[in-house]
Amino acid sequence: MSRKVCIVGGATTPFDYGPTGFESIEGGAAECIKETQQDVPEFSLRDLDLMIYSHFSVHFSHQLAPEWIIHDHLGLVGLPHYRVENGGNTGGSALYAAALAVMSGHHDVVGIVGWETMDSVSQSQGSEFIAMASDIRYELLVGGIYPIYYAAMANKWMKENHVTEEDVAIIAAKNKNNAMDNPKAQWYRNDHRYITVDDVMSSRLISYPIKKYDCCLMSRGVAFVLVCTEEYAKKVNPDQYVTIDGMGLSSCTIRAGDRLNNPTWNEHYGPGYPGMTEFAACRNSAEQAYKMAGIKDPLKDIDFGEIHDAFSTSEAQIYKALGLADEKTIAKFIRDERTSMQGDIPMNPGGGLLGYGHPVGATGLMSTVECYYQLAGMIPKKHLSKKTEVSEPECGIVNSHAGTGTSISNFILRRH
Amino acid sequence: MTMTVSLNSKKDRFADQPNFSEKKDYRPADVKEKGLVFVGHEISDDRTAMNQFLHYDQLYTIRHGWNSKFFIGLLEGKIMGTRCPKCGDSWVPVRSHCWNLDCNLEKTEWVEMPLTAKVHTWTVAGWSGRSSLKRLPIILAYANIGTSKVAMANELHKMNPWDVEFGMPLKIVFKPRDQRVGAVTDFHFEPADFWKPSPMNPEKQRIKDLVMPVYEWVKTLK
Ligand SMILES: [Zn+2]
Repeated sequence: MSRKVCIVGGATTPFDYGPTGFESIEGGAAECIKETQQDVPEFSLRDLDLMIYSHFSVHFSHQLAPEWIIHDHLGLVGLPHYRVENGGNTGGSALYAAALAVMSGHHDVVGIVGWETMDSVSQSQGSEFIAMASDIRYELLVGGIYPIYYAAMANKWMKENHVTEEDVAIIAAKNKNNAMDNPKAQWYRNDHRYITVDDVMSSRLISYPIKKYDCCLMSRGVAFVLVCTEEYAKKVNPDQYVTIDGMGLSSCTIRAGDRLNNPTWNEHYGPGYPGMTEFAACRNSAEQAYKMAGIKDPLKDIDFGEIHDAFSTSEAQIYKALGLADEKTIAKFIRDERTSMQGDIPMNPGGGLLGYGHPVGATGLMSTVECYYQLAGMIPKKHLSKKTEVSEPECGIVNSHAGTGTSISNFILRRH
Repeated sequence: MTMTVSLNSKKDRFADQPNFSEKKDYRPADVKEKGLVFVGHEISDDRTAMNQFLHYDQLYTIRHGWNSKFFIGLLEGKIMGTRCPKCGDSWVPVRSHCWNLDCNLEKTEWVEMPLTAKVHTWTVAGWSGRSSLKRLPIILAYANIGTSKVAMANELHKMNPWDVEFGMPLKIVFKPRDQRVGAVTDFHFEPADFWKPSPMNPEKQRIKDLVMPVYEWVKTLK
């Protein structure tokens, strides 16, 4: 029925807070496309037949429809374009939209440009802007920032799953240390140091049980992904393309407290699920993606992932929602470091949001680009060493996540 | 009051225009509404990069519409919830239509909730948005109010941050009437009168160790 969808190239600007060298958004978009063309010389701007723009908050740029600035800067007037916005899952949702466009047969070569410029306001003001995606009538005034909502969810989840602060600190250290091998990563560019579990444990309290190093970074950055038909992929980059074999997108309540006793989830997954602790939209979208890609046992069938570690605690919760572990096995799964570069399913070899950074509209695309590089064998070219190269991967998962788990997408990418 | 010309008789209108005779203005003196103002710039020493500072201030009107009774209730020291007449589910925060797909968007009815709640989950914030920094550390609890099926977030006062417990009973306490503005910050949670904290334990000690520097840090804020 539907056509195969491929990813044939992509790149990001360096992610940073403050000066990056790519300080106009349209300049950053142009540089991402030029880097993609160095990898895929056959790709010409003339090949594009649709542009999708991935951007979360116009509050940061104080510019409505900022995609219009980028689009005409790229010389693409006349080409259809629109913007996708879906909170932290904006990048994943833009990829979903691009894949649908190709699948439908209506478009063949779709470019996605994503960005966020979160350093245009102070850090605490920026946190408050993002939190305006919580329900401002009920939650913004009392919580104020997302880490607090996530901490309340994680506190209970960790209790119920016997996961400790030290356990999630392993994840925080892993991702920031992975980023030390990635010159575009914000942690590499700014903090630039290897950290230990103890460093995470002794970093300042953000909201119990989350501490400073359990949190992702506020960023400025731009990313580009090139999505296309297999016919086009074979034409321009026959040796380095990947296929999107599965994808899923799901949703949950805006206020985390409204997940208790929710009749629709209860009907779907039984009473008590997801409560305020589980990411039902992650489980649900992963199930859709697995079914489409023929994944029976995700732990065996998936080699690695680039997932939405806005907090170390959320990465742990995502492991469970993806079906990599259950209530009984999750703590041991983390302690055995199954998701480190030496583990059987490395997660966030690119550094993730904790290490690479989280310029919201670019984030899901950054995860996609890193997953693509791994599968296309491009890590030695893109990272500083082979330390963060997954050994001969066939299948990767990309996960993008919004709100308090309000919108989540998952994609199964395979090496061709 | 001017009305749209084409709507010349009352029955043609979707709804009557409400009249707002109770008006309150408590805008602090330092909040100005100036719209767009360029307030400065900086240029790098090599003159290749320029940053401009644009200030923007805008008044928003939140029209609460069908949810208004909840916010008016706050001014009166009441927690108003809604309830579905079909399936009986009730909520705070309120829903004007039922969430149950079988009830097919049934319009809900208002119910006044008791001023009691139960902690579902909680956290202790040591960092927050710009407008809350000076109040840190803050205990944020998600609690089910009265018969509500969902948990509502609000601050939990009058206790040590390390003593919070899952499932602990709470009471709802309102600010004095003259300080209320019809926002969720008009009330907060406090432990129920009969509740007593459990003895110190390693987890409580850990939270205490994390929180003590926050008290010190807040003292340094201007
Ligand atoms: Zn109902």
